[in-house]
Amino acid sequence: MSNESTYEQLSAAIVAGDQDRLLATIEDALGEGISPSDIIEKGMHPGMKEIGEKFARYEVYLPEMMMAAVAWEGAMKILEPKLLAAGTERKKIGRVVIGAAKGDIHSIGKNMVGAVLKMDGFEVFDLGIDVAASAFVAKAEEVSADIIAVSALMSTTMPQQKNIIEHLEARGIRNKYYVLVGGAATTQEWADSINADGYGRTAGDAASLALKVISEKKKGASK
Amino acid sequence: MISFEAVVERALTGPICSEQDFELQVFVPNLRRVVDKYAIKYDPENPVPADDELADRVWAAAMEFLIDTGVYCTDTERIIRFTNNEIEQALKGGPCGVVFGEGKDAKAMPRRLPEDKTPPWCSVGAGGSPVSSEWNLLNLVKAYAENSLGDSITTPSLTNVDGQTIVAGSPLGIEGAIRTVILAREGLRRAGRPGMPIVNGVATGVRSQEHIAGHRFGIGKTDALEIGTIHEMKVDFDSLNKVAYSLAAGNLIFAENGVILGGLSGGPAGTAVVTAAYNPVDLLILRGAVQHPFPTHFDIGTTSTRDTIWARSLANQAVTRNSPVPVVNIGYAGAGPMTKMIFYEFAAWVIGAVVSGGSIEVGGSARGIVVDHTSPVEPLFASEVAHAVAGMSRGEANGIVVALLEKYESQLRNPPTGQRYQECFDISTGTPSKEFIELYRQVRQEMTEQFGLKLQHASLYL
Repeated sequence: MSNESTYEQLSAAIVAGDQDRLLATIEDALGEGISPSDIIEKGMHPGMKEIGEKFARYEVYLPEMMMAAVAWEGAMKILEPKLLAAGTERKKIGRVVIGAAKGDIHSIGKNMVGAVLKMDGFEVFDLGIDVAASAFVAKAEEVSADIIAVSALMSTTMPQQKNIIEHLEARGIRNKYYVLVGGAATTQEWADSINADGYGRTAGDAASLALKVISEKKKGASK
Repeated sequence: MISFEAVVERALTGPICSEQDFELQVFVPNLRRVVDKYAIKYDPENPVPADDELADRVWAAAMEFLIDTGVYCTDTERIIRFTNNEIEQALKGGPCGVVFGEGKDAKAMPRRLPEDKTPPWCSVGAGGSPVSSEWNLLNLVKAYAENSLGDSITTPSLTNVDGQTIVAGSPLGIEGAIRTVILAREGLRRAGRPGMPIVNGVATGVRSQEHIAGHRFGIGKTDALEIGTIHEMKVDFDSLNKVAYSLAAGNLIFAENGVILGGLSGGPAGTAVVTAAYNPVDLLILRGAVQHPFPTHFDIGTTSTRDTIWARSLANQAVTRNSPVPVVNIGYAGAGPMTKMIFYEFAAWVIGAVVSGGSIEVGGSARGIVVDHTSPVEPLFASEVAHAVAGMSRGEANGIVVALLEKYESQLRNPPTGQRYQECFDISTGTPSKEFIELYRQVRQEMTEQFGLKLQHASLYL
């Protein structure tokens, strides 16, 4: 089988969210001498790009995104040690701690953002729903995150987004993290009013915003 | 029907499953399988389908999906399962002619069928849209009750208590819920309809303790508390606690399901199936007298998109042809007050819902999130439209909805949020500005001249 054909199969397995097929194809590819780096960049990554584009066109939805992300993560468990051994570790674009604000039990929007961020190459630490401000801060410190992303669906849980910023300020570490807010109840005006670093109305907006702030960081901005 | 205690026992002892496995190994494959098996396909050309056989296939798919999938309890990480027999028994004994309200304002909730001439129940409110002052809330509720086609009211959400921002789960949440109920009762009294049922009086409250507190200050046995499932096919102890309290207190329950189109349910076909599958869940778990669905677009954030209208209309037809549990649809528009677009958006989904057997609750404006961007004029207009299309064929309704979509569809991504309540109303008298009345008159005229709708005059404003 040609390498091109293998890359197409890897991509197709990602698009289908079929982890078993992806792992079997990776095993075959490694057996054929294809490097882990090429498996990722020439096979799996185009699949992630394709599913992201389909999501933006409403051709696929959250399940396909989540399944692709799960398949990707399963594959990386096999490939990352090999990359490390070869000294070609794939660099993550950035680290994001994500969760729904304290009191908020809605996970769908947050999961969408998490899936899109993973596809864009971020390392995502999902704290789930109803997350205390201190838990966001502690996790961000633990994993040296770049971004804290907080969702709030209800007008009465939005204040908890502000609370996270106040916790960061109280510990003197506000400038270490970009705090991005989103969720059905939130607006740009709200984000501005609490001095958040950005607002994303949709999952796509959130990913673009995350890429933008990471790019700023790499250019030497304060965070 | 199996008891609520049996449901709770299943939540505590049912099969253990991680949440991600429930989503990706149980929910998604089961849904995909039934959507394929029953050949349910989205038809964007016909946002209001008129195919009874398709509607019945959606119902069959929904029941098979529910039996195979169950409902996930996030607090116990267990699945609550029901048998086909249990579902059928529950539906056989489902609510029939439940009376909401007191005295001269009391009325039985109708069970409607597709193309039914029975007037739909019209619940009037803001879909929980936020308001910044108690005065605005009081004025709004009074105006809702002055809508002569209104059968029940729901309240907006207060954003603050004496200037302090309300935080869910805090004492401010309790106080906000209490004030909302007290103000709603007062608004009904001022409108001369003290017995008009409140079907969601604690829109401000999220937690069970807030529901309980609000209830204690003015929710009666013929009012309802609104209790929702979690996206998708999930409940938690807090929602079950609300049910437990309501059963003990004896009030009625509006069982709410806001399926996210684009979320775990996937596209329009999956959204229609899951919305229908919630109907028995609303009876068995939430003990609802009414199913209160609002399939919402994940990206646009409204119920007025073409695909959500299709999913809602089809789910309504599936449910109302097969279940006795009445459907009162709630919806959200992208545009805000003092725009033509909001009238078009409400008219579109309301027409689809009503000719498909549903009743309505209107509704959230400016996606239900922009503070004070809500008014009583649009719910009034929606009530008039809902009554005008009762008995209309789905084919005719489809033509109107397609024409309405053409008027606003291109603006859905960036809809105009319009004006704040205090900008388009005189807040001292509670009346709309002359410009607002003129806009309302123009849109009514358009509905009559372009679509032949004979709108009743339910307004004090004209």
